[in-house]
Amino acid sequence: MPKIDLINVNKIFLGKTGVVHALNNVNLTIEDGEFLCIVGPSGCGKSTFLNVVAGLTNVDDGEVLIDDMPIKGPGTDRVLIFQEPALFPWLNVIQNVAFGLRMAGLLKEESYERARALLRIVKLSKFEKSWIHELSGGMKQRVALARALALDPNVLLMDEPFAALDAQTRDMLHEELEILWLETGKTIIFVTHNVREAVRLGSRVILMTARDGKIKREYKIDLPRPRHIEDNELIDIARIIRDDLKEEVLKVSEEVI
Amino acid sequence: MSNLEPSRVVSKVEKERENDLRTQRFKSVALKLLFYGFLVLIWHLFANLETLKHFLFPTPLEVLVTLWNGISDKSFVYAIYASMKRLLIGYLISLIIGLPLGLCLGRIKWMDETIGSLSLGLQALPSICWLPLAILWFGLNEIAIQFVIIMGSILSITLTVRDGVISISPILLKAAQVLGASKIKLYTHVLVPASLPYILTGARLGWTFAWRSLMAAELLYVSAGLGSILTMGRELHDMAMVISAMLIIIGIGLFFDKLIFGYLEHFIAVRWGTK
Repeated sequence: MPKIDLINVNKIFLGKTGVVHALNNVNLTIEDGEFLCIVGPSGCGKSTFLNVVAGLTNVDDGEVLIDDMPIKGPGTDRVLIFQEPALFPWLNVIQNVAFGLRMAGLLKEESYERARALLRIVKLSKFEKSWIHELSGGMKQRVALARALALDPNVLLMDEPFAALDAQTRDMLHEELEILWLETGKTIIFVTHNVREAVRLGSRVILMTARDGKIKREYKIDLPRPRHIEDNELIDIARIIRDDLKEEVLKVSEEVI
Repeated sequence: MSNLEPSRVVSKVEKERENDLRTQRFKSVALKLLFYGFLVLIWHLFANLETLKHFLFPTPLEVLVTLWNGISDKSFVYAIYASMKRLLIGYLISLIIGLPLGLCLGRIKWMDETIGSLSLGLQALPSICWLPLAILWFGLNEIAIQFVIIMGSILSITLTVRDGVISISPILLKAAQVLGASKIKLYTHVLVPASLPYILTGARLGWTFAWRSLMAAELLYVSAGLGSILTMGRELHDMAMVISAMLIIIGIGLFFDKLIFGYLEHFIAVRWGTK
């Protein structure tokens, strides 16, 4: 069953350096419960894709549907997680996690109860009263994940959420995210520039072209789970995708030269 | 090689660190005491020079006596009360108008282009320049003084809050939107707390400007208040009274600026992780 449909979607940015076609006649169907990863060189329109689905950016042409309904602005059925944790420094951990629930009008007690359950999932129960500046980078990203999950969205949109973390922390969060996806069956769209990360997580990987905002190729990843980032098969698939990606990266650097 | 247990090493280091801190603090206080003591001593010696006209240069002790007399006969107390009442009223009005206005200017473009540019322009005018206009409009009364205080403080509050809203990281606003914050809740639950460090700076600036405007206005236009004690001192050639009033003004200024606002700013800087 399709969850999200992009039909002939176009998005153009007029920048100082010229026209950027961030999404160029993109047609894509994302199935319910799919773990889709999008890779591509920087500036290829990956983040625009997420912003469009999140409802933060309007498209210039085409249609974006969720459950066959057009997307009109942000909605708590799909929550976007950013590269920076974007936590609210004036709130402590549990208040951050409960933020969306409070916005939805839940009472304090009720929202805290659900927030606590999520903090258990991301293994931060001990830190519910901590202030944000007291947490490490990995802990912050966990709080951001719990904050997004608190609203129990059907769709999780993740914009390079682990890019700023060290390898060990990233490995751990990959594991946690994989388990979460397996247990909840949420639809996840995960944007990254790290090909191995994409193959580690995704059930499908999409490679976007540099500059002209098209989908270059897609790869079905049928590896068994739980996966590990150092599995041989995973590395082999990642190599194929990386070679394709390299072509795109070279295109950009040739343009610059 | 030391053969202490780990826990004893920790407590030893802790003790040393604590002692270091205490010595440092003691040194800093001692230095300050010494400096101000020295200053008072110089003043005292200077005031006793034969060549100076005594009424222009009272000794520290005479100033202290004047200060004490003014407080015990309540004349200074009434003056402080009169000035503080004016200040608080004017300042509160400035806050009540300036704060929401600053929030709006930071978010609503057409308001920023109209009211924002006007505020920026008016800020070039020292607030005391409003006094002649205020006296002609409202007469020689409290309203005129309030007007000067408000004109002095409201602009800096508004403009600082506006800057605060503009400098909020866009990603925080996006996060709030994605998490379902409505337009109104975006103001109350995100914009206000996110710009709180700026709001506080604005409040502090506004306070300073209000205080200065008030003093200027009270000096020019005689009325009960600290400014009128300064004027009275001048007219009576009573330098001890002038200096006493100056000391009181410094004291009140320091109390609010350093103690109240300083504490609040420190608290927020720590919480918001900017320190």
